[in-house]
Amino acid sequence: MTDHTHDPVGPGHDDDGHAIRHDGRLYGVLAEYDTPGELIEAARKVRDAGFTEFDCYSPFPVHGIDEAMGIKRTILPVLIFGGGFAGTCGGLLLQWWCNAYSWPWNISGKPTWSIPANIPIAFETTILLAVFTSFFGMWILNKLPQVWHPFFRNERFNHVTDDAFLLGIEARDRRFDAEATPKLLTDAGAIGVENVYLDPDPASRQMPKWIAAFIVASTAFALIPFAIAAKARTSHSAEPHMHIFPDMDFQPKYKSDQAMDLFADGRENRGELAGTIARGSLNADDLFYRGLDRSDSGGAWTTKFPAQLDVNEQLVKRGKNRYEIYCAPCHGFDGRGAGAIPQRVAATGGVWLARNLVDASNPVAIHMPNGQLFNTISNGYNTMMGYAAQIPHADRWAIVLYVRALQRSQNASLEDVPPDHRSGMQMPEAPTP
Amino acid sequence: MSALQKSLHSDEKYKAGKLGQALQKIGVGIAVVCLGFSLVYTLLSDPEPARVAGHFDPATNVGDRWSRFLHAYVIGWSYIFSICVGVFFLVLLHHLSRGRWATAVRRIAEAMSMAFPIVFASGLVFVIALLAGYKDLYYWAHPDAALCLEPAAGAACHEFLHPTLVHKLGWLSPGFFAVRYVIYAVAYTGMAAYFIKKSREQDESGDPQLSEKLRIASAPAMIVYSLVTCFAAFDILMSLAPQWYSTIYGVNFWGSACVGGFAALALMVLGIQRTGRLTHSINPEHYHDIGKWMFAFTFFWAYTAFSQFMLQWYGNLPEETVWYKYRLFGEWQWVSIAMLVGFFAFPFVFLMSRWTKRIVPSLVFFAVWQLVFHWLDLYWNAMPSYDWHVAHHGAATMVAGPLSGSTAYHHVGFSPVDISVWFGLIGVLLVGFGRNLKGNLIPVKDPTLGLSLAHENL
Amino acid sequence: MSTTDATVASHHADAGKAREAFRSVTRDVAWIAEAPKPHKLWLAVLAVALVMFGIGLYCIYVLVTTGIGVWGNSNTVDWAWDITNFVWWIGIGHAGTLISAVLYLTRQTWRVSINRSAEAMTIFAVMCAGLFPLLHTGRPWFAWWMIPHPNDMQMWPQFRSPLMWDVFAVTTYMLTSILFWYMGMVPDLATFRDRWAAKGDKLRAIIYGTLSLGWRGSARQWHRYERAYLILAGLATPLVFSVHSVVSFDFATSQLPGWHTTIFPPYFVAGAIFSGFAMVFTLLIPARHLFNLKHIIKDEHVEAACKIMLGTGMMVGLAYATEFFIAWYSGNLFEGFTFINRAFGPFWWAYFLMVGCNVLVPQAFWFKKVRRTPVAIFFLCILINVGMWFERFVIIATSLARSFLPAQWSEYSPTRYDIGLFIGTLGLFFTLFLLFFRYAPVIAISEVKGAMPEAHAGKKH
Repeated sequence: MTDHTHDPVGPGHDDDGHAIRHDGRLYGVLAEYDTPGELIEAARKVRDAGFTEFDCYSPFPVHGIDEAMGIKRTILPVLIFGGGFAGTCGGLLLQWWCNAYSWPWNISGKPTWSIPANIPIAFETTILLAVFTSFFGMWILNKLPQVWHPFFRNERFNHVTDDAFLLGIEARDRRFDAEATPKLLTDAGAIGVENVYLDPDPASRQMPKWIAAFIVASTAFALIPFAIAAKARTSHSAEPHMHIFPDMDFQPKYKSDQAMDLFADGRENRGELAGTIARGSLNADDLFYRGLDRSDSGGAWTTKFPAQLDVNEQLVKRGKNRYEIYCAPCHGFDGRGAGAIPQRVAATGGVWLARNLVDASNPVAIHMPNGQLFNTISNGYNTMMGYAAQIPHADRWAIVLYVRALQRSQNASLEDVPPDHRSGMQMPEAPTP
Repeated sequence: MSALQKSLHSDEKYKAGKLGQALQKIGVGIAVVCLGFSLVYTLLSDPEPARVAGHFDPATNVGDRWSRFLHAYVIGWSYIFSICVGVFFLVLLHHLSRGRWATAVRRIAEAMSMAFPIVFASGLVFVIALLAGYKDLYYWAHPDAALCLEPAAGAACHEFLHPTLVHKLGWLSPGFFAVRYVIYAVAYTGMAAYFIKKSREQDESGDPQLSEKLRIASAPAMIVYSLVTCFAAFDILMSLAPQWYSTIYGVNFWGSACVGGFAALALMVLGIQRTGRLTHSINPEHYHDIGKWMFAFTFFWAYTAFSQFMLQWYGNLPEETVWYKYRLFGEWQWVSIAMLVGFFAFPFVFLMSRWTKRIVPSLVFFAVWQLVFHWLDLYWNAMPSYDWHVAHHGAATMVAGPLSGSTAYHHVGFSPVDISVWFGLIGVLLVGFGRNLKGNLIPVKDPTLGLSLAHENL
Repeated sequence: MSTTDATVASHHADAGKAREAFRSVTRDVAWIAEAPKPHKLWLAVLAVALVMFGIGLYCIYVLVTTGIGVWGNSNTVDWAWDITNFVWWIGIGHAGTLISAVLYLTRQTWRVSINRSAEAMTIFAVMCAGLFPLLHTGRPWFAWWMIPHPNDMQMWPQFRSPLMWDVFAVTTYMLTSILFWYMGMVPDLATFRDRWAAKGDKLRAIIYGTLSLGWRGSARQWHRYERAYLILAGLATPLVFSVHSVVSFDFATSQLPGWHTTIFPPYFVAGAIFSGFAMVFTLLIPARHLFNLKHIIKDEHVEAACKIMLGTGMMVGLAYATEFFIAWYSGNLFEGFTFINRAFGPFWWAYFLMVGCNVLVPQAFWFKKVRRTPVAIFFLCILINVGMWFERFVIIATSLARSFLPAQWSEYSPTRYDIGLFIGTLGLFFTLFLLFFRYAPVIAISEVKGAMPEAHAGKKH
């Protein structure tokens, strides 16, 4: 490459050493200086002369040039402080919202909003946001990336990143003059001053079509995984889950009710062995476990209560508690059979019968012996299912007791009330016809 | 970074002249007035709060007034000690790293570090009290602390005292404590004296070899300094709560000490300049750097303090959390909040900006602010240990020491003695500074002086 | 204004010398990327590194498809090589940020010869480190749940856990290191762009041109760039403290003796800087010799690094002494036992290796003769890294293998997959570093120029 560092003012040369066409518009003028010190002095002179659209170019930041050029301090530190502050607030808010508000969990007794435990993450988010503001803010304020600049056409400019110190003034500056400006630069000690022209072909200043196409295509490709994820989250699939790493998902063992060809009946479930009873399942006492009174031969339903239970207020209360859980949905809280389920079915136009347990006009339940009531609770009747699996035996007896108490209470007379409780009571008026 | 050099301004006043004596006079005045007030106040004070706090004569059951005075004294002493420790760090670091910016202020820092002898002399008040058998300052010097050594101690001992106290009563005994105190005094004084002596020699000869000698000496000095600072913190402050421990305590103390040290240096430099000395040599570039170190150590203190707090909070071991529990609930919670906001958050945010560090009134404000909060840090560390629990077993009473038993808080409250003793000891510190502000206030022939005078921040 | 021709001529000659100095810096760094064929030794070491990486990939495959059982972890020693490696690698990464940020803030201009390589090393070390917490979860494909995202189960991460703090700290550290490193490289990538453009290589010019964002050395842009660089350095400094402190919180927030101690954060940070510097110079001492960079990465810089290693090694030693003292002072029987066990229990050999390599080995750096012998420094740095690996291993394995109840005590030994994975990360690290060395500007060209005395040529005083 020929050394153009000491050329007089001229049209400049491009990278291949050819003189650049200067029938394009003048963009500006570039002057090269030998040393950083001279660049600073030249910058000072240019600024004192009133130019604003100019810049200095160097391979490293030259100390003292900011002041010579009159560069104002950037606002970037203020933005970074704001970014950091947003990071702090964001970090604390994130942790508070997730762990103390949305779904609070007790983790080893720590408060759900544990400020000491939240500080490390809040600190990191502060730094992260501040760093992002610093990095992206700086590039944005510097208007980079800007991969093309008219000065890149100049061969001297190629050396800026190596060892050259240049000063460039743009022609659009108000004080620019095609003769006076280069003279000012030369007088300041330039070792070379060159005009830089825009390429007359405007197409050279536009982004090549293939780059634009590449950007669009790659953005579209990059969105594909997100589109797949979005579709998966909003649609249904009959396919089973994918097992990328099967781990222990498919275990070589048999699960309940699976088919198994080891046994003649093909079942995994073997059931009870004939002639055996599981420990604790003997349930020999017929009265307690089945409500049958074997004292007379024949095994009629008992009219008593089992000896194991104390028939007292506590048992009634227990029966009430259990009745309201298991029985009231159909039979109603008052036992008259108008519970929530029959009402709901009736509201939709159907019929659901639940026996009235208490009214004298419906004597079946009133005359039913205790043992038979017990049996109905255990094994069900017609559409009523048996509750033996849900309700232990003692609780079933408690329910029987409570039903009896309900029956008594709904068919009582004033004489049934203890004397000292009678004063505030009145019999209901008979309805007027 | 500028590689330029400047030479000392021809009109520069760099001789101390009568400055040292003047400062000593002021120091003596403050010390006499404040310590005198403290003594009188303590003599006339009501002994009842002290008795409630567990400090009393078992024979007469009358409260011991001097306990409060001595606790305040230990805190005030730790304060002046820590300032010297912080300032001395700059001297050592400067030599170790072949620093350049600080040369202009280094002589002042060296002179301030040479207050160590006076500081250690003033500490003899509580050391000699301990050796004489005073029992109401450090619980490990109290006869009840050794109760678990008695075979008949039984239930009383284990209910209120951790047996973990007993095994270290050899280490934490007045005699060994005093021996270590002397070791600290000799180490700090010896190092500070060496550095200022060689530095003053260089004023005469300008010999660059002296800088080399100091640089080589600064490395082992840094090692001795680190060890001695950590153990001094363990002995004098951490052992006020002898059943508690924290490995980072020494580092935390050092961080706080450096905040105080750099703040004190800023005030000393600015004060000297107000007397017309060194007005050309020390400029906002130097203020900026001192401010940067204040900022950096404010952050470092917060980092070590948070580490200690968060780890003991998170681990939730009762023998550790008892120390924090006392300070985070009840009357001390406000002091804790004041520390977080005042010692860390507020100065941290405002010292970030260039301008708060370069403009004199602002730097003065933050230096004074941090000096006050550094004292509050030491107060918060030490004063809760004034509250001692007294256990009753039938007819017998036993003093169980700080942070023991059910941590029943007493109202430790606030006493004017806390402040007056603090100020009195500041007076003592000023005497220590004044004694060494003589001769040249700037190392006139130090090879790096030119670079320091021309120093520029970005 | 010049007066005589002679003055002008001598001025030009001086300026010419200064400019030649700048050009030689550019050439001395750029030739590595511009050499048509890479150095034979570079190819050989790359081949070895790729083989090591391959071993690691195989171990990862077995681990992910089979499960954590392929490691030697046991019921009570549930962290061993995995977390030791994680902490070791993260620690190594810290030197880069220290060199870039802290040495910048303390105006140690000698950093400019090593900061670029050190920053690159940080990024690669953090990449290696990040593998371990990811893999040790056992089902790493669920790791994305650690990033809070809206979901229909209202499932959020448990932010109160130090393991979550790790996620945020390491991610922030990774991103910050990459951004800082890249930002520093942009002016040098522009230098490469211009050199390739001048040579006529359009493809490489476009690649480097795109990467350098069109940087043109404008003073107005340098102003904001410098400001951002300073602030990033100011942000990276507390960040580097916080990252290894957060890593230390993984241990210190527990109640295990030997783990639960308040000095862990600064102790870990000092140890990280210690091992990081050792790794930087393990890489750069051979590199500066093979690639003729001794006049940029000077002997004085290596010597300064030795002093930093000595200093941080002493800090680590101080932490050992303090922990030992307080273990006795506290009177906590378990704590006391833990420290006796470290020296005399089943891993006593690891303990003595640790103390030997971390406290005794750096003492050699007191001697100027050692500080000026690169070969000796190279081997001492390797020993330091070995010692720091054993430090983390001792902390983890001894406390877990001998914790509170004797019924919990168990033995530990690594499996081939533990070792293979570690070798794999070494392979990954060296592969990436070698690639960086060949294709990127390995020294901060613009910063070196700015730190030279010639940068002030022509200035009036």
